[in-house]
Amino acid sequence: MAMNSDALRAESVRKVYRGRGGPDIEALSGVSLRVLRGERVSLLGRNGAGKTTFLRIASTLLAPTSGSVEVFGIDAIADPESVRPFLAVVPQEGKPFMHLTPREQAYTYLRARGFAKETAKSRAEHALEQMGLTEVADRLSITLSGGQRQRVMVATVIATEAPLLFLDEPTIGMDPFARRGVWDSFRELTRKGSTILLTTHYLDEAEALSQRLYIVDRGRLLAEGTADQLKHSVGGTLRVSVAFGDGISTQLATFGPLVRDGDTVHVITSPHRIQELLALAARSNLTATVGPVTLEEAFLRVVGRSINDES
Amino acid sequence: MNLEAPLPTVARSRWTGLGAFIGTELRVQLHEVLSIATSIIVQAVFLVFVAVLARQYLSYTLIGAVVFSTFQIGQRVQNEAAWIRIDHKLHEMYHASPMTPEAYFLGMSVGVLLAYCAPIFVLFAAAAYFVGLTLPVALVLLAVLGGEFVFTASVGYMISTWFKNMRSIWPYSTLFFNFFSVLPPVFYPLWLFPPALQPVALILPTSGGTALVEHAAGILPLSAEWIALAAGSLVVGASLAFVGAVYWARRISRER
Repeated sequence: MAMNSDALRAESVRKVYRGRGGPDIEALSGVSLRVLRGERVSLLGRNGAGKTTFLRIASTLLAPTSGSVEVFGIDAIADPESVRPFLAVVPQEGKPFMHLTPREQAYTYLRARGFAKETAKSRAEHALEQMGLTEVADRLSITLSGGQRQRVMVATVIATEAPLLFLDEPTIGMDPFARRGVWDSFRELTRKGSTILLTTHYLDEAEALSQRLYIVDRGRLLAEGTADQLKHSVGGTLRVSVAFGDGISTQLATFGPLVRDGDTVHVITSPHRIQELLALAARSNLTATVGPVTLEEAFLRVVGRSINDES
Repeated sequence: MNLEAPLPTVARSRWTGLGAFIGTELRVQLHEVLSIATSIIVQAVFLVFVAVLARQYLSYTLIGAVVFSTFQIGQRVQNEAAWIRIDHKLHEMYHASPMTPEAYFLGMSVGVLLAYCAPIFVLFAAAAYFVGLTLPVALVLLAVLGGEFVFTASVGYMISTWFKNMRSIWPYSTLFFNFFSVLPPVFYPLWLFPPALQPVALILPTSGGTALVEHAAGILPLSAEWIALAAGSLVVGASLAFVGAVYWARRISRER
């Protein structure tokens, strides 16, 4: 097989869902992206932005309307069967077999993928341990909580150690401890050589896990880069949050881009303008706090700009 | 991370994981003990009715009950495939893997068959006792059951992929149940069916298969042409359905 540093390369991927009794829906409008081997990359976007559609196309589960997708240099559109042995997928809102235990679920899935009994057994045990499921490993999944079931799904898939993993909101419904356990397992997987493309709505997760991020909205890629690059791209490195700052938003806007969050106006600005900005807030009898720009603000800013452009 | 490291070699055939997936389905299904135990309730009720109302037709009803039970297992494949796809989304995990779509379809079908075949043996034993099944007749019955199952499981699998929610599928189960089993001469002799429609009954896999077994058992006279019609329909129907299901399984493994 030809060597290639790209685990995934997508060019101009477009997907139009035929409307059933309604208009057609363009879910992806020419998305191009690359994921290098061994990378952890996140796709961020609002609900309905096209993340899951892209993941399903890249993982050979959905045919695009046009465009190309290569997985490890193999044409995934023309030859999905050659690509599939290298993939593993955690589907969005998937559930394990309710009448299997987590141990059975992971073990039988690995066996179905062709792993030898001993390998399947040891990998299943390791994955269950990583996901903190050892204590419930012999309970039927029907008796587990939603978060535990999701951990069973993740354990089942990470046990494959597949070269390319597609994880669609893998930590949804998990508690903060479980999420961190999942993050550690993803890091271990990429250290061993796997590549991960995931979607998430938890921006702290995206920042903690991803070496690069793509922001998608309305089927288009809006931004790409590391978390730091995305944060810098919004016009400053610091955020000043002014409670009830709407009344002075015109003046605030002179310091940098604004992000509105309820009654609070966040101003993205540079360190040398902080004193001046705090003084303005004090003169207006408003409370202001200073902190670093977060990925969430960068995301809101990037997507918000896109929404404004549309309107 | 070595970006040029070779990918792991994957040894696989079209049937990689088939045995494991049969085992998976079997484990899952065997938890439904009540469902398995009650899977011959309808047949048992029909048998009681016939035993009370028209005992002379009991042999026909027994053979029909065995054939119908296999048909019903095929319908369970339809519901299982739909359930896994719509409610669990596990098909995505299996399709984006070394396991081929046809191994997935076949593994599920055989797993469900193995789980639900025990009650059929009860009916089979009853048929052997009351009808007096000889070895040749039993072989004809097994062949018919094989064709029956392949047909129904294949059609059921294809149908399972057409729907977005479980509620939409339920009416079809009722429709097939009545159209293939209650209306045509499955639980009663072919000659009680309107003569003009008897060829149609022979074309249907359930009533046609039942007629073949009844003929082999010596309780239903059939002309050579009608034997050919029933046997040919079953073989052709099962083969076409199986090829169609394999084709469809591959095609639907990547949605359009």
